[in-house]
Amino acid sequence: MYCILELERKVVDTGICTNCGACQGMCPYWKSFEGRTFVDYDCDRAEGRCKYFCPRMPADLDALREKLFGADGCEIIPEIGPFRGLYLTRAADPEIRKNAQHGGTMTALVELALKEGLIDAAVLSKAAAAADGTLDPAGCLVTDPAEVRNCSGSSFQIPPTLAVLNEALAADEYKQIGVVGTPCKVLAVAKMKAKPYEDNDNHADNIGLVFGLFCGWGLDWNGLAELGDAAHVDILPSKYHRMDMDDRQVDLDDVLPLVRNACKYCDDMTAEFADLSVGGARSSEGWDVDQGWNQLIVRTEKGQKLIDLAREKGVLEFRSFGDEEAEAAALEKIMRASASKREKALKL
Amino acid sequence: MTTKNEPGKTYLMQGNEAIVRGALEGGVHFASSYPGSPSSQVLGMLGHIAEDQGFRAEWSTNETTALQSCMGASFANGRAICIVKQNGLLFHGDTIHCGALGGVKGGLVIVSSDDPDSHSSTNEFDSRHMAVSANIPMLEPASVQETKDMIPYAFELSEELEQMVLVRVTTRICHGRGSVTLGEIPEKRPFTPIGLWDRMVGINWLHGFLLEKLERAREAFEVSPFNHYTGKEDADKLIITGGTGMKYVQEALEEYGADGEVGVLSLGCLWPLPEKLILKHLSKASKVLVVEEVDPFLEEHISAIAGKARLNVEIQGRADLIPSIGELNPEVVFKAVREYLGVEPKCCGEGCPAIEGVNIPARELTFCAGCPHRASFFILKQALRQEGHKGVVMGDIGCYTMAGQRAGQYGYHFMSCMGSGISAAEGLGQLTNYGFDQPVVSLCGDSTFFHSVVPGLINAKMNEANILHIVLDNSATAMTGFQPHPGTGQTAMGFETEKISITALCESLGCRVWRADPFDVEETKNLICKLIGMKGLKVLILEQPCATLAAKTREKKKVWVDTDICRGSNCGCDGYCSRVWGCPGNIWDFEKNCAAIDEVVCVGCGACASICPSGAIKVEGGDAK
Repeated sequence: MYCILELERKVVDTGICTNCGACQGMCPYWKSFEGRTFVDYDCDRAEGRCKYFCPRMPADLDALREKLFGADGCEIIPEIGPFRGLYLTRAADPEIRKNAQHGGTMTALVELALKEGLIDAAVLSKAAAAADGTLDPAGCLVTDPAEVRNCSGSSFQIPPTLAVLNEALAADEYKQIGVVGTPCKVLAVAKMKAKPYEDNDNHADNIGLVFGLFCGWGLDWNGLAELGDAAHVDILPSKYHRMDMDDRQVDLDDVLPLVRNACKYCDDMTAEFADLSVGGARSSEGWDVDQGWNQLIVRTEKGQKLIDLAREKGVLEFRSFGDEEAEAAALEKIMRASASKREKALKL
Repeated sequence: MTTKNEPGKTYLMQGNEAIVRGALEGGVHFASSYPGSPSSQVLGMLGHIAEDQGFRAEWSTNETTALQSCMGASFANGRAICIVKQNGLLFHGDTIHCGALGGVKGGLVIVSSDDPDSHSSTNEFDSRHMAVSANIPMLEPASVQETKDMIPYAFELSEELEQMVLVRVTTRICHGRGSVTLGEIPEKRPFTPIGLWDRMVGINWLHGFLLEKLERAREAFEVSPFNHYTGKEDADKLIITGGTGMKYVQEALEEYGADGEVGVLSLGCLWPLPEKLILKHLSKASKVLVVEEVDPFLEEHISAIAGKARLNVEIQGRADLIPSIGELNPEVVFKAVREYLGVEPKCCGEGCPAIEGVNIPARELTFCAGCPHRASFFILKQALRQEGHKGVVMGDIGCYTMAGQRAGQYGYHFMSCMGSGISAAEGLGQLTNYGFDQPVVSLCGDSTFFHSVVPGLINAKMNEANILHIVLDNSATAMTGFQPHPGTGQTAMGFETEKISITALCESLGCRVWRADPFDVEETKNLICKLIGMKGLKVLILEQPCATLAAKTREKKKVWVDTDICRGSNCGCDGYCSRVWGCPGNIWDFEKNCAAIDEVVCVGCGACASICPSGAIKVEGGDAK
């Protein structure tokens, strides 16, 4: 079957497409419009990168994990993937924290990696407001560390960020391109790094550090608009059962129907194929303490080096779990949450 | 085509020219047509000579108006000729039946050109059934000479019977060439005043007269010189041909040395059939082969004649020895004659050394270089895909009919006859009020708009249709060769006339009208997306002149590929410009492995520059159009 048709039928038509953009930016045919991925020409290639990079196409994940993490020697925890350590962190710079999601750890780390030359460009998602006031997130390529802060925060939508990565890789200008993405995007990037299509690897070696974002789900493109405008959106720990939009509190029951269908089939909460993954802190000390902090899973040696550098440069503040027991409990909590997402996805 | 009055002199002529000469020798007063291949050229030529020769020639908005105009001219004893293609004849339907009932005064000849194999049609309908249905006499020439000769005869016959006469021709007659010995061009006959009690009224109490006229035609046909018999007298083996069949059969019989033993009856008078003449030969034969273009028309009517006469004769043709579809050609006829005679192949059959190894690559139909339709369908497809694949496109007849293929991104879901797109869309669009949830788009060209879309548009307006109707206005009847239409401000005889504005016409009906340029790819796409999302009847006119027309007046801009920017086969698109966009001006340089422009073919519109994903195609001055 033509690869475009195969991808369209198996992923787009079935509603499991996340709009990550992995199929885009390489040819003129795959496009995205208002959060929806579509193809506007039935290309007659039997094989193509689009099909191989798509995170929703079947793949042997164990083999992929072995290929990308096997040599690293890290522990593999079934619930959350490769693991070197768990940290509670936040950006030391209060200016970053002001606009960032949770503690601004991701913004601080990407900024640092760019400044220190660990990466020479970063593919980020910009949750910038469109002219009409609605959130209109899009991927962007950032090379100036000062621009990273413009991409802070989350709109809980999934823009086709990886289209920008693919374009940057094809141009072959930057040799260490960092990527920040949700688990679906990180899985696509992992597939790209594994060079599944022999004829064309799209300069996959130019992919640098991969920064994963914890993700429960993303919203439909127009979902947020239905809930009303907001500059800052956050989802509280599950016991609160609510989403905060600026000063407004929205019952989660009003939000869940707007969840992107494809996200209901996702079984990865912590972006297991990243070098490090960042999410909102969920320690045993409770929301009042955790608010404004991140938890961070370091997976690879590369990821560990960046964290060590961040500690050395004072870019991140580290908060102690208290004692070993508390740290184990926090890890246990993530594992439970991650396993719960996986269970729900598989039950559907 | 010569207008010299040189009786007896011989010229080489194309069949379409022979029709023109025939009309001239028939003393024509009025000629009208709507263009359609293979006879599109006829009225164009008549228009050129009309002023000098003292008659009126005009392009009509459609075939029905053309025939009705002819009926008016006939009322004053004028001789009128109407030239159409098979679809045009079918479009005549009601007019030809009612007109036949009312009869004519001055000779009225309809020339209908069929297109076997549908070289430039969507079908290979057979005109001949219309003569049977309408009860009018019908002739079909077997050569270019006969074509010329039949027209003046048809005028005479028409006046004798006070009935319109149909002359059926086919592609190979229209486009073939042959020697034609000229006849005399007569003085134009004066008109006859229409008296107080003169009538041309089609009413049922004339039905008996209608049939009586047909019987008088039959008598004339029994002795007509347009029916020929050659070969052995009282032949046991008889081949009956109509139209082009005669020449093919003669050639085949010579090839197999059978011209002495077989009788060939070539019929030029096809309806009503000269039964006595046919029976005279049929009764001697035991085995008959009928060779004719398209349907087994003669075959079935002759079978009926044989049956009525209780003859024990085997009749073969399209039912067995000749394929039931497609055009006659030497291969088909030679094979049929061979099987009919029971002889071995000598040439031009399977394994013939003359044709073996000849492998001509198939070429698909496509839009010309710089054609605005390519851009229009490209945009439409992108817009529909962006909206989620749901839109249904109802096509129509014109150059843009080719959009059903790769040239137009397989751009429509529905296509039928001229003018059908908008009305079919209206019906489909109404279902959106009852649960059908796909947006409906219909299309037509400017000439088709005037031809038969206007009533459909009024219907759509009256019934509050929920459709987007797009007029692909290229300011031309491009498909058939730039004949004038009501929007061009020109006439067949070269006089200027006031242009009819499609926009003004639509607006006068109360339609909401938008206009856009298909070469503004992004802007027009966004407009189409917006219009698809709106309820109600929307009319969008995409304006950009036909490339072939524009090439004559517009300065050609230089278009080139910057080979440093073109990604070649790394484009990831497999030649987006040359393969997907598909303009013949966009080619692939296999040596350099990158895109290129064929400077000879390119008309310099620059539209491809806006679709190149790398921006490698450059236009002098940097702008399309």
